[in-house]
Amino acid sequence: MSLSRLRSVVKCDFVKVRPSSALLSKLAPCAGREVSTSSTRCAVAQQNTKPDWNRAVSEAEKIVGYPTSFLSLRWVLSDEIANVALHLRKLVGSNHPLLKTAKNLLYNGKNNMQAWGLIVLLVSKAAGHSPEIPDMEQDKAAGVLHSQRALAEVAEMIRTSHLVHKGLVNMNVRQVLAGEPDDMLFGNKIALLSGDYLLANSCTELANLRNQELVELMSSAVRDLVEAEFLGDRDQQNNPLPSRPLPEDQRTTASEWDCILSPLPMAGVEGCARREWAARHVLAAGALLGKSCSAALKLAGHKPALQTQGYLFGCHLALAWQAFLDLEAFTGPEPASFSLVGAPLAFTLEARPELYSYIEAGKKSVHDVDYHALYEAVLSGGGIQRTRQLQREHSGRAREVLDCFPYGDARTALANIIVAMNA
Amino acid sequence: MACLSSSRLCARVQDKLMCQFGPKVRRQTVFVKLKPPGPSPLRIFGKTCQRVTTCGPACGSAGGGAVAGAARRLASSLQSTSTGSLPDYGTQIVDPYRLLEDDLNGIYEDIRSELERNTNQPELNTIATYYFDGQGKALRPMVTTLMARAVNYHVYGENSALLPTQRQVAMISEMIHSASLIHDDVIDQSDFRRGKPSVNVLWNHKKVAMAGDFILAVASMMIARLRSDEVTLVLSQVVTDLVQGEFMQLGSKETENERFAHYLTKTYRKTASLIANSVKAVALLSGADENTCELAFQYGRNLGLSFQLVDDLLDFVSSAQAMGKPTAADLRLGLATAPVLFACEKYPELNPMIMRRFQEAGDVEKAFELVHKSRGLEQTRFLARKHGVEAARLAAELADSPYQKGLVVTTDLVLNRIK
Repeated sequence: MSLSRLRSVVKCDFVKVRPSSALLSKLAPCAGREVSTSSTRCAVAQQNTKPDWNRAVSEAEKIVGYPTSFLSLRWVLSDEIANVALHLRKLVGSNHPLLKTAKNLLYNGKNNMQAWGLIVLLVSKAAGHSPEIPDMEQDKAAGVLHSQRALAEVAEMIRTSHLVHKGLVNMNVRQVLAGEPDDMLFGNKIALLSGDYLLANSCTELANLRNQELVELMSSAVRDLVEAEFLGDRDQQNNPLPSRPLPEDQRTTASEWDCILSPLPMAGVEGCARREWAARHVLAAGALLGKSCSAALKLAGHKPALQTQGYLFGCHLALAWQAFLDLEAFTGPEPASFSLVGAPLAFTLEARPELYSYIEAGKKSVHDVDYHALYEAVLSGGGIQRTRQLQREHSGRAREVLDCFPYGDARTALANIIVAMNA
Repeated sequence: MACLSSSRLCARVQDKLMCQFGPKVRRQTVFVKLKPPGPSPLRIFGKTCQRVTTCGPACGSAGGGAVAGAARRLASSLQSTSTGSLPDYGTQIVDPYRLLEDDLNGIYEDIRSELERNTNQPELNTIATYYFDGQGKALRPMVTTLMARAVNYHVYGENSALLPTQRQVAMISEMIHSASLIHDDVIDQSDFRRGKPSVNVLWNHKKVAMAGDFILAVASMMIARLRSDEVTLVLSQVVTDLVQGEFMQLGSKETENERFAHYLTKTYRKTASLIANSVKAVALLSGADENTCELAFQYGRNLGLSFQLVDDLLDFVSSAQAMGKPTAADLRLGLATAPVLFACEKYPELNPMIMRRFQEAGDVEKAFELVHKSRGLEQTRFLARKHGVEAARLAAELADSPYQKGLVVTTDLVLNRIK
């Protein structure tokens, strides 16, 4: 997407949203329901939105009570956020990607923020908790523990913080291009601080749970997210590029990720389409969701074996989800651009290594890539087919885990979400 | 939980009271009383009252008057509770760095290998370990280790040793510090730090920001592995304070009184909190009683404030070469630090410059000159010394040991450093 187009998109969004909720949407991605439901009108315009998904999610939300806690309210009332709100106004009209990040957090259909905390809460409810936990610590109506709700918030805060930090502009590269370095500099400052604020808050929330194994696990998820940003080749704005596909005989065996507290081993990953795709998205998404689910089960006093199942569920679900998002680009009308590290393209490149020259054209900026040519190549090859297969595998693995949980409404809701994703 | 929050509350209150020179002080006390008292309410109120009485009259008479005057009065009221000058620690001068040579030896290597263990991405490792090259002063690890040994000695006597967990805290303190430096570099667009190009010059900003998050994540895992709920809470407070301090730096206050209070609170959050809470963490780990932990915290807080005041002073007087970063950097960033705030008492024309964050041409040079013409630098040094003296007084309450002497000497080192 070209910068000018991006700008108009951002601008028009700010026209649509009322001023008060504009602030909310920029600051509190998990903001109140009102904001995001009013935004569904915008989502209707999105062509790929399937009603099944929205229904699955909104029904699931009813099961665990309100989607997240009153985190949003707390944010709006905090001094720091009031401060950022003032500063952010100055950014409206500039083309700093922080605005786009803020927008995506709310409007990005299936990838929206609520869904992440929601999954953690649903897994919490589906698994239940040990009878020894005192009534005081339970949210009886919703069937989850207060600590699990806090954990769901932490998961969302970590994810949001990461997305916000990812949205920084590389000034040293851009300065030559942009006529307005001040806006960019200021936007970076606000983005960095807002992300730090969320990260600091998640540290405090975690510390308050008084469970050090949990702190360690969730901190390792933050580390994984960071690692994801360093995996493989990048353009100058740090947008990821796929690695050059390795011929079959040069691939080495990949090592297992035995201990999820250690960093993901990278041996035999790069240049091997499926593994590279998995490693990238496990680090960028699966680890956080998986570790959050696992941590939620730990809080409920479940055995380590079930905690591991929780981790696997989150991880597979995130990968299935990612495969689904990757496919979206190829199911509707041809998009202006799409992820270069998506599974359909990765499989296509592996089958036809000569296409890699198109990728190399994007070394400076992913905007220089000939998306049309790659799009055609993906459509004519087996990439989409193999991605569907990949998505089915991960959904299947996630569903298998669900069978460990007792039958109940939360388990059904999780199953429905998986089905809606496959639709 | 309760005991911890009460001590933190107490610290907060003290911090606030120290900072609020204006008529706000009385309102603050009301605020304190509304808070739940915790297990030892007498102690909190005792301390609070003591502060109010030492600071109250000065504030009452100042009534929103000159900041410098109020500061001076506060400082002298502080003095009345202290010995008045640095205590005599004998003819034998303790060099804390030498004293801790064995403990601090290899601390940077250990941090580097901890970071390396936590990533399989070579570039991330390079950026994250960039500032752990052993060229820094390692002030935070040094003070933390010193306090750990002094408190251990205080509690267990001569045969006490440094606990491995305490050394971990020393490493963590330096890691949190570096993570914040890395993010500061991106925010401030600084070119040099510690005499070499800063990270944001060498790598792209997204990666640098991520590397900061990475260091924090690894530090956070190390904290968790200490398996102490209290220590985790104390150290997570540091991260919150750092961010809040950074937010405070974005804004400024209208009136002079508020501005100085704002400045001191910001200084506590950005600098002193890390030192104060790290030394408190090692005191907690040694199993010291609540009073000793609080003493450690207050020592760290005063030392930290003193350190930052000197830092702000050096920004005006030191050469770029000695500092390893450009001078008058704060002014260029639009920040009004203590010397400027003191100087505006004599030169009110500084006020509009502060409000516009020295953005107009010639502002920086003019402000620089006015600060040098005023007594701002002298007054800043005076305030720094007061906090140093208070820290030394607190350290003197610990059992006599080489490490306790080292804590006293450190307050001097901080005051008399040239870079």
